[in-house]
Amino acid sequence: MEDILTALRDKAEQAEVYSLEEESTLISFEANVMKSARVEQRQGVALRAVCKGRMGFAAAGGRATKEELIDNLLASAQYGDEVPISFPPAMPGPDVVTYDPTLAEVPFSRLVEIGREIIALLLEADPDAKIGVDIERGLTRWSLGNSAGAQISRQTSNFSVSISVERVRGDDVLLIYDWVSGISLTDAYREVAQRLGVKMELAKRSASLVSGRMPVLFSPVGGLVLALPIMQAVNGKNVQRGVSPMSDKLGQVIFDRKITLWDDPTLPDRPGSGSHDGEGVPCRRKALIQEGSCSGFLYDLKTAALMGTESTGNGARSLFSPPQPSPSNLVMEPGDRSLADILATMRHGLLVEFALGLGQGNTISGAFSNTLGLAYVVERGEIVGRVKDVSIAGNIYEHLREVAAVSQESHWVYGQIKMPYILLPELNVTCKR
Amino acid sequence: MDYECIESALRSCRADYAEFRSERRRVTRIVYLGRRLETVDTTLDEGGIVRVLVRNGGWGISTFNSLDNLEHRFDQAYQSARLVQAEPISLAPVAFAHDEIRATLGTDFRHVPLVRKKELIESYNDILLSFGRIVDTQAVYMDEFVTVTYMNSEGAFIIEERPMVTVYLAATAREGSNVQRAADGVSVPAGYERVLGLEEMARKVAQRAVDLLAAETVVGGVYPVICDPKLAGVFIHEAFGHLSEADFVYANPQAQEMMVLGRRFGRDILTIVDDGTLPGMRGTHRYDDEGTPTRRTELVKQGILTGRLHSRETAARMGEAVTGNARATSYRYPPIVRMTNTFIEQGEASFEEMISEIKLGVYACDTAGGQTMLENFSFSAGYGYMIRDGRIAEMVRDVVLSGNLFSTLQQIDAIGNDLTFSQFGMCGKGQGGGLPVGIGAPHIRIQGVVIGGR
Repeated sequence: MEDILTALRDKAEQAEVYSLEEESTLISFEANVMKSARVEQRQGVALRAVCKGRMGFAAAGGRATKEELIDNLLASAQYGDEVPISFPPAMPGPDVVTYDPTLAEVPFSRLVEIGREIIALLLEADPDAKIGVDIERGLTRWSLGNSAGAQISRQTSNFSVSISVERVRGDDVLLIYDWVSGISLTDAYREVAQRLGVKMELAKRSASLVSGRMPVLFSPVGGLVLALPIMQAVNGKNVQRGVSPMSDKLGQVIFDRKITLWDDPTLPDRPGSGSHDGEGVPCRRKALIQEGSCSGFLYDLKTAALMGTESTGNGARSLFSPPQPSPSNLVMEPGDRSLADILATMRHGLLVEFALGLGQGNTISGAFSNTLGLAYVVERGEIVGRVKDVSIAGNIYEHLREVAAVSQESHWVYGQIKMPYILLPELNVTCKR
Repeated sequence: MDYECIESALRSCRADYAEFRSERRRVTRIVYLGRRLETVDTTLDEGGIVRVLVRNGGWGISTFNSLDNLEHRFDQAYQSARLVQAEPISLAPVAFAHDEIRATLGTDFRHVPLVRKKELIESYNDILLSFGRIVDTQAVYMDEFVTVTYMNSEGAFIIEERPMVTVYLAATAREGSNVQRAADGVSVPAGYERVLGLEEMARKVAQRAVDLLAAETVVGGVYPVICDPKLAGVFIHEAFGHLSEADFVYANPQAQEMMVLGRRFGRDILTIVDDGTLPGMRGTHRYDDEGTPTRRTELVKQGILTGRLHSRETAARMGEAVTGNARATSYRYPPIVRMTNTFIEQGEASFEEMISEIKLGVYACDTAGGQTMLENFSFSAGYGYMIRDGRIAEMVRDVVLSGNLFSTLQQIDAIGNDLTFSQFGMCGKGQGGGLPVGIGAPHIRIQGVVIGGR
């Protein structure tokens, strides 16, 4: 790494070298049976340099030579973007644990046991179900050095379990999925499996519904319908490009005061946590929505420079692309009412567990129109059964202005965002029958 | 690459079956976001995968960037396979192939200077930006050249060059809080000449984004719908095609019952085909990623389910013939059952005939994404028009089609005589990134579709 920086000293005003090494083990169960085991080794280098004010980028996985990489970098910089960014010097970041050395010691047989345990638990809920489980254990080492003197080297560990359930009965299909991750092996997978089991039980009974406007309760997973447009709107890239509906709303109240959203890279045991982002900028916790008002965006060095502000430490990297702003861990603040209490207030309504078509259509505008993959009818405070062929539609910038309740309970959704249950007082629900 | 070394590693591997696949990939990418040239870069990637089968174990896989010490990778895969306790797996027989498939390109994009490529995409981006109210664009040029080497312990040895050249154009129009987007592109395994002359495409994209600003959100309800070839093609790929992949049914008796051959899925006019041999298409290869020759497979013939797509493993398990549909996104993944080029066969109806019989309906065009949960689906059209009294009327937006697959296929009551293949098919099943696929259809008419909206 040092030698690439040295080689670039005469050719570029600023330079940066990012290198990545990863090892992981993945075991897969398919249709209740163990199927494969995979070992993965990954290594690569990405370079950035500013030459005559223009930014260049190059990357290689595998055995590219230093000369090849530097040639590609300089060719890229010839046409590159003119952005007034400065790579950061060495700066202290928060103290965050991202690595658990004991994870590498977990025997393979223990991973297999976990898979079996999950399958047994879910087959108890329905012996006809076909369960798929992927268990992955990974170790990543990355380092970053730049011409301003930053020199960062980090290790992160990652343990994730994804579970899918498929149940076919005649032409009736139930397909549900969940995912859990952490930096250590904990029993969080058990809780996720149990939640899936409950969903399977509840889906056994069917219910019907008549189209109309009604209260709709979003579960943490179902709530992605509401969260996804927000995630896009607070991304500095969309703000800078002028396509975020929030770009001119900083400081203004846009949602109900029950809605508060944090980006928090300092949480323990989260793979999204870290002391520094992929550009060497220290990470910090920040509010994006605070009691309904728009209070911040996520920036990397480039989008911050273009917006005349500071990077928020959200420059995320993947090997083959220049950094992009991306959340670390998103946390929607829980409310003050229990789920049971919220359900009890619903005389007649819908509980959304899983929506199809997330991210399709014009998501950033806040408009949503989703067919529901899994939803239950709620009558007089009770979940009475699964309803199919139902869709919901609306716009979050209208419907999140008045939120009836936010639950105390909240869960991580796909390892990305921690969400409570959210009750909207009224939403348009369309049913086929 | 040291082929002898790989052959010797294959020979000495103690597994019942072993295979090696490697890729060398070079990608050049130029991206404009609005007026800003976001990046011009070239990235290189090289790596491989070893996959082995141990009969009283299961599949063992090792993927890597470092091609040194391959024996170690084979051993790693073998040791992993022994730890698996799968049900016995066997592979349907395939005659092993020795073949070398070199890319034939009109103008080889690897020899076109970077500055030419930059000027080309800049010129398209300028067209997008020349329209009033266009506040943002995304104009991408990309070329990719991949050399894949495949060898297995049964003697297969295939080298294939896989080129792909892409131009993608998107425009965002904005008026206050009303933000609308349109996009189109070309991505084909061909030479540089195929991405020249796309000025008209750029103009249409920008104009559509601007037009969508004035379009009203469609009024939700149940309508007869005509889908244009792009949307019909994506619908058949997503909603039906994935159910034809044998890995969905082979281990699930209930699913097999649902997808039993001979079951009626549609009316006599409906025929659906997957064909990996069509020249020049995105999903075309002479062999799949297990070395099996590709072929034409009729999935639905005159409304009746007649076939499905297989890997060697699923074919053996179900006692059916191999179809050459085991494909992998990259060397990071083992092959799984995937579609190649999937399409609805040409019908007889003209567009005028189809539309003339509709009093009130929707003409749904293009796709802004789709998702299925097997029997349930949800598709967003890129844009649409109301059909009133047999004529195309006002433009509408936020057109989301949803429904039940089985009843919807039965409700396809007219198939056009204008089969068209999309030049931008991408399939995202399970493995990171997308896999190029061919997607095609004529215009189709479907009765009684649920359209979401206000």
